[in-house]
Amino acid sequence: MDRNQIAKWLKSPAKMANKYSLHAVYFCTGCGIIEIPPVITTRWDAERFGIIPVATPRQGNLFMITGYVSLKTLKAIIRTYEQMPDPKYTVGFGSCPINGGMYWDSYNTIKHLDRYIPVDGWIAGCMPRPEAVFIAITHLWTLIDKGKADGYLRYQENYAAYRRNQEMLFAELEWPPLYPCDSIAEEARK
Amino acid sequence: MTGIIQIVLSPLIAFVVGVLFLGLARKIIARVHRRYGPPIYQPVIDVVRMMSQRSISHGALFELGVVLALAGSLVTVMLIPLGGTEAFQPFAHSVLCPLSSSGGLLVVMYLMLFGPLGLALGAGASANPNASIGVSRKMLLALAYEVPFLLVILAVMSQYGSISLTEIVARQQQASWGVLSVPLSAVAAFLILPAMLGIRPFDLVTAPQEIASGPLAEYGGTCLALITVQKAIHLFVVIALFVDLFLGGGVNLATFLVKMLAVFLAVEMINAVLPRVKIEDAIKFCWKWPTALAFVQMTITVLSK
Repeated sequence: MDRNQIAKWLKSPAKMANKYSLHAVYFCTGCGIIEIPPVITTRWDAERFGIIPVATPRQGNLFMITGYVSLKTLKAIIRTYEQMPDPKYTVGFGSCPINGGMYWDSYNTIKHLDRYIPVDGWIAGCMPRPEAVFIAITHLWTLIDKGKADGYLRYQENYAAYRRNQEMLFAELEWPPLYPCDSIAEEARK
Repeated sequence: MTGIIQIVLSPLIAFVVGVLFLGLARKIIARVHRRYGPPIYQPVIDVVRMMSQRSISHGALFELGVVLALAGSLVTVMLIPLGGTEAFQPFAHSVLCPLSSSGGLLVVMYLMLFGPLGLALGAGASANPNASIGVSRKMLLALAYEVPFLLVILAVMSQYGSISLTEIVARQQQASWGVLSVPLSAVAAFLILPAMLGIRPFDLVTAPQEIASGPLAEYGGTCLALITVQKAIHLFVVIALFVDLFLGGGVNLATFLVKMLAVFLAVEMINAVLPRVKIEDAIKFCWKWPTALAFVQMTITVLSK
């Protein structure tokens, strides 16, 4: 362990533990997932940074969306994101979640992922190399240190706006709102 | 007074050593795979992280199941002698086993089922289909390894003429170790060790790729942290039991832990290289080779007595 970090560990153990134990839920939407097996296995070995893949959203705190997001998968992404326990961090992998990428004019993919769930960081490229994942992780560490990786807090604060965006896409969602939400309250009043 | 100190001390040792063993397991697997691997204290970081996360509950039973499993494992630790001897020897201390006078091996056998049962209760309350599949696999696997395990224990008990674990350890330290006096039982017990620990090739209960980590599918946050601790203590219990039954315990805690480390390394090497088997193959295996070996040994031991 780095000796400079002992003071940090004593000051805020939860934050440091969140930094060094990122259990990742890889959402394999598209071609980006092919870059993940080298990341987590022998060649690049993400486990030395404490990053291991987990099987269910309940156990994870890093959500990585690897590839384009079609309308159908967006539903699953929202549900998976809402099932993860706080604090949680989201990273968009590849150019497709950023702005649609090569599917910029597709009728069936969404172009901006951060309109529907909060995203803490992006990894640009088509495809990003596995090294880019590690650069992203070190950036995420700095963000967590500075308290800027606050996507889960933004989701809570602006849930009404996110929910509205989600409802604009799907007309009606099959699950109730996660947080109390002003637009829902308004509808109830009518 | 020493009794109270021991009651505090032995679960503490089990916790520290068990968590370090979990970290060591990840490091060993990484090195066998030619990776660098996580730091050895990584499970501690993981547990702190899980404790800090918001936990989701599916009702009282969901959380009580975890507590039951953890309590069962902690009580089991107190029934197992962790080194020490009554005989006069250099560097020896008195037997570290707070509940040595209550029941011995038979109680240990029953209490070891508390872990799986508690987890089954909690996972059942979550009503997740993956969890139900995991629970049914866990129960079948328990059925598979309990048969050879019972035969092994019968052979050991009739060899040393006692159901008390401290008595069995003392006899082994006077004469020869269990691995020499009941060799086939030792082999059988070693073959079912991975099944009792739930590691490869018998990690089909918490298979992440097939059934989304089975009974743990709905657990997160604090509950998952407690389950990780339970896993660590269960690991300690099973390997300590193996050392007590076949490797003669230890004259003091240090030798006991060294023997545990040796058994653990052997099991983890197997864990690192083998793939996962299906549940029916696991049962077929457990009821064939370990059962046959244990049965032959039991027959020999009982007839020669």
